Amino acid sequence: MRVPWRTTLLSYTFLAPALVLLGVFTFYPLLYGAYLGFTEYNGARFGQGLPPRWVGTANFEKLFADPLFLTSLQNSVKYLLVVPALQLAALAVAVLVNKQLPGMAIFRAGFYVPVVTSISLAAVMWEWVFNREGTLNWLLRNLGLTTPEAQFGWLNSEVWAFWAVMLVTFWRGFGYYMVLYLAGLQNIPEELEEAAVLDGASAWQRFWKITVPLMRPTILLCTLLSTIAALRVLEEVLVLTNGGPLNSTYTALMYVFSKAFQGFDFDYGLASAAGLVVAAVALALSYLNFKLFNRPEEEEA
Amino acid sequence: MKRALSILTLSLGMSALSSANAQTTVTFWTWYLSPKFDGYIKSTIAAFEKANPGIKVQWFDKQDSMVQDFISSVNLGNAPDVVNLNIDETQKAAQNGFLRAASDFTPAATLNRTFYAQSLRNFTQSGKVYAYPWYGWINEGVLLYNPELLQKAGLSRAPRTSSEMLSYAKTIKDKTGAFGWVPALKDPNTASFLGFFYAEGLPIYSADGRAVFNSARHAALLNQYVTLFRGGYIPEDAVRREAFQLATELYAQNRVAMIVGGPQALTRIKDTNPGLYAKTVVTNAPVGPANVQTGGSMGLVIPRASKNPEAAAKLAAFFTNNANQLAFAKVVPVVPTTLGAQTAVQFRVTSQDPIAKATGLVGASGRFINPGYRAPGNSDDLYKNFNDNIEAALLGRKTAQQALNDAAAYWNANMKK
Repeated sequence: MRVPWRTTLLSYTFLAPALVLLGVFTFYPLLYGAYLGFTEYNGARFGQGLPPRWVGTANFEKLFADPLFLTSLQNSVKYLLVVPALQLAALAVAVLVNKQLPGMAIFRAGFYVPVVTSISLAAVMWEWVFNREGTLNWLLRNLGLTTPEAQFGWLNSEVWAFWAVMLVTFWRGFGYYMVLYLAGLQNIPEELEEAAVLDGASAWQRFWKITVPLMRPTILLCTLLSTIAALRVLEEVLVLTNGGPLNSTYTALMYVFSKAFQGFDFDYGLASAAGLVVAAVALALSYLNFKLFNRPEEEEA
Repeated sequence: MKRALSILTLSLGMSALSSANAQTTVTFWTWYLSPKFDGYIKSTIAAFEKANPGIKVQWFDKQDSMVQDFISSVNLGNAPDVVNLNIDETQKAAQNGFLRAASDFTPAATLNRTFYAQSLRNFTQSGKVYAYPWYGWINEGVLLYNPELLQKAGLSRAPRTSSEMLSYAKTIKDKTGAFGWVPALKDPNTASFLGFFYAEGLPIYSADGRAVFNSARHAALLNQYVTLFRGGYIPEDAVRREAFQLATELYAQNRVAMIVGGPQALTRIKDTNPGLYAKTVVTNAPVGPANVQTGGSMGLVIPRASKNPEAAAKLAAFFTNNANQLAFAKVVPVVPTTLGAQTAVQFRVTSQDPIAKATGLVGASGRFINPGYRAPGNSDDLYKNFNDNIEAALLGRKTAQQALNDAAAYWNANMKK
């Protein structure tokens, strides 16, 4: 069927404002950033008003020869361990709170509080938890799992700082994904559940045969968002450990941030190249997510 | 014809009127001064505008994002005219071509007559002075201590030398459980441990500009701190947090006995623990064998992208003149960087109030302000590498000698001259 040109024009007229905004604020920066990745554009060139200079793949060669970048990339990939834990916990709790019980709204809202808490405030709170004299050590001591002499500041430990920061990421993201899962759960037709109950399906069977398949689009969305967020983790690392100790919490985005935005010795070229590498990893993982969670229904059968 | 003539007359008249009213607007950025010092800044701006009727000042106080905002504003063609930067940032900005030299606007003779020679040297890069030196501070200006903790540790007087300070740290911790003090081992964005080398009289650079902070003597000094740290005599948070912040926090909780610093530490203690503030004793800070102190200063710089550099320079010179620096030092215990401050009556204080005593001890010592090392080219990378190596030594991953060797090798391979 041919669409009349007037209809096409009208459609594009309505789309135009959004397309212009996308072009200016998304696609142009993206393309310009990609271009900068192949140029030398540092504080000295910028400060003297000189334009970027094309250097081909030199920035990428420099990046992969920089042990700090390799460490940061490795940490970012390791940081992805938070994704399954976060998704499983958020889905499980969403299923548990998807009930019409008194006071449930307050309970649900409580989970969302960390999402809207400012990171600086959260950092102060988690400092209290992770300090040598903090609540975590107090708890472990009272449970008889540690002694006062064996206590240490979790954020000062080369081994534990990484997991401590990851816990903060978990805490901050949990409510957000839980709300998304809750919305997904509430879209599942009640008749399906009721029919399954009449057929004698157990709760576990209903979860695996009805909830999980119907939640697949939501699971895909949340996993994708969470994967990208884990690769882009920055704020909690900056405020809690500043990448230390011994770069054990230094992430790829922190590398990009430090090269692009800290001080007058910045290097936009190198930062953009690092950003491109992170984007490539994110794309590869997103593809993997689609492969895992977006299987056609017939494959299920 | 008659109509055209009257239009011409009218437009000429209007243009004359507008040029008579023409005003230059100077944008002035300070760093972390509002809201605490709004009164002082606003009254100084008012005095400047009164003395310069053609210039209007628009003041903005920047905080965390100062440098990023500065770079963005240059990118957007909307650069400020006067910017408040510290010594290290001024050096970096000048190295990267962001600034106009102060000596482009003010004769060198005038600068030399106004400021301490060392203050001008702090802001000199490739033979040119890039800032009007503003207020400063002495890192080892004073020693303040909790007399009860010292007494409990069996110590009858304050330490007088840096090596005595190290032995006090051990005694105090062993006898009281509190830390002796919090040395600036690894402050972010600088290479603070270099200051210890300077205090010890150990060189940072050779005459030809190479990093030479890895001699056996340098390593021995670092090793003393490593031993203290690994023995639990320095708070473990000192590798992660800014020393000044950590020290003032722990001191107020009676968990640190001494703070080496300026009167600014006392203002914090006065706010958080007035009882302890009243007991606090202020005395001269211990010095190292070189008998020097380290310190820092703020300067006012003129960006290369400023659209009103002449008016900007006038404002910078006005804010940093002797009278205005002394007036600022009355509002907050800062150390003026002007020659005239040496003889200022306001620093001859005999009061026993800790802040007044500290101000009296350091107020007129602006000539000693020296960070102890100059920002190397490519300093962000080099500082990070240096701090990572210091951390590796403190956490036992490298020997002190190995850490310094690695850092010096990195500096010499990556330092932009």
